[in-house]
Amino acid sequence: MRARACATIAAAFVLAACLAVPARAERLVVAASTDHVRISSSFTGTSLAVFGAIEPDTGSVDRALYEVVVVVRGPDETLVTRRKDRVAGIWLNRAARTFADMPSFYAVSASRPLSEIADAATLRRYEIGLTHLDFGPADRGDDSPEEAAFRAAFVRLKEDAGLYRETPFGVTFPGTAVFQSNIELPANVPVGSYRVSVFLFRDGAMLTTNGADFSIAKSGFEQFTFTLAKTNGIVYGLICVALALLTGWLAGVLFRRD
Amino acid sequence: MLIYLPIAELPVNMFLIFGMGAAVGFLSGLFGVGGGFLLTPLLIFSGIPPAVAVASTTAQVVASSFSAALSYWRRRLIDFKLAGVLVVAGVIGSSIGVTIFTLLRRSGQLDLIISVCYVTFLGLVGGLMLTESLRAIIDAKRGRPAPLRRPGQHGWMHRLPFKMRFKRSRLYVSVVPILVIGAGIGILGSLLGIGGGFILVPALIYILRVPTSVVVGTSLIQMIGTMAVATLLQAANNHSVDGVLALILMVGGVIGAQFGARLGARLGGELLRAMLALLVLAVGIRFLVNLVTTPDELFSLATLAGDAR
Repeated sequence: MRARACATIAAAFVLAACLAVPARAERLVVAASTDHVRISSSFTGTSLAVFGAIEPDTGSVDRALYEVVVVVRGPDETLVTRRKDRVAGIWLNRAARTFADMPSFYAVSASRPLSEIADAATLRRYEIGLTHLDFGPADRGDDSPEEAAFRAAFVRLKEDAGLYRETPFGVTFPGTAVFQSNIELPANVPVGSYRVSVFLFRDGAMLTTNGADFSIAKSGFEQFTFTLAKTNGIVYGLICVALALLTGWLAGVLFRRD
Repeated sequence: MLIYLPIAELPVNMFLIFGMGAAVGFLSGLFGVGGGFLLTPLLIFSGIPPAVAVASTTAQVVASSFSAALSYWRRRLIDFKLAGVLVVAGVIGSSIGVTIFTLLRRSGQLDLIISVCYVTFLGLVGGLMLTESLRAIIDAKRGRPAPLRRPGQHGWMHRLPFKMRFKRSRLYVSVVPILVIGAGIGILGSLLGIGGGFILVPALIYILRVPTSVVVGTSLIQMIGTMAVATLLQAANNHSVDGVLALILMVGGVIGAQFGARLGARLGGELLRAMLALLVLAVGIRFLVNLVTTPDELFSLATLAGDAR
């Protein structure tokens, strides 16, 4: 209910905003349903609504349809991808590739399949799509099967974890110049600051882009526990040990029968 | 009911985790082992990152060992002097173990070492215990009396220096083998997230000839001390102890342990050992199968510090 109310308000807001401003080139107005996602003990994932309005170019006579791509990127992280090989009958981690500054979360929604919106070079320039991610300078341009296998495995594992996603037809148009997209944030979503980028395409060309930011953070008890564990490990450890001894002692007293 | 774990950073089914804790707690009370060697693999299997599983189980072992130890303490079945020596050695061992743990995580070989250790130690200990206890059970069925314990028979151990008298265990032995056993268990314990009871109990029985009546209570004290220090070190070095996960496991574990300890007191020692041996062997074989069969997914992701992603 709340999400729907939010959606209506946000849509009305962006519509009003774009009607008020006269313009020459296409303009995009973008809003997200929240700018702060809180993770509490009952957090099992949530959904983020992204709204926007397209303000058409008044001078344009091009009647081709607009295409919209919404990209949500989580904070960057550096991950090691390892591959197991059989050595003396045992499977163990051998070869590894380190991919620096990869998005910890990456969801792309589009109004049509990406290949129908623009060509690969354009998509790659804006890092749109799971096959167009930038794997850093070390891997750029190296398309040997070995390197490609590691990159594909990275994306596949991220997809399996629900953290990378590509949704064709994930952007809908409730009105002619208003679009909407729902991005699912799974329960294991990484905390940090997120960037929503919206790209407007027509005839395979990127016309304009705009974005919005939001953050995901633990709240209350979860935040307190996490911070204490990271910044004051010994105190946190002592609390855990005390808790363990107390639980053990309580049970011993409660269940005493002799 | 799903609950979000602040350190593991994912939601888990509270009742599932509670059930695992209770089931493993029951076995730990029954056999006088910490149960970590069952709980850690169970948690990893249910999707908890291995580092968090190992460290949180460490805290759980403290709770379940403590509650089980209370029941042995009331029945005066603990040799505190022997336990004290074992704890000192165990604490040194677990400091070494946590350091190795941190290094292995970074190199990406932690899972392999954990698996190889499980296969080796569980296989060895399980096999040894099984043959030994089966022989004893068969002997008892045939009406042959169990061989009497002769305190003089220690062979080479008798010649080692620094002898100490342990009145409760009716032992007069060198502290060297006790320290070696205690430190070894400490290293393995913090490395594998296990209390090490399944190794310590047979080691005390077969190597040191500690009477079976006091061996369980004494090994529980050693586990409490060693694992409490391991929890502290894991929290300080690896920040991987999940307090919420550990608490759910503890509550389940201590409740299960109470019932286990009661049943254990009624069952015969030889039968218990045979059952524990089978369980230990089964877990060892499970790890061996995992090591040699072709995995479904050859690739894995981890952070630079070694956290699985």
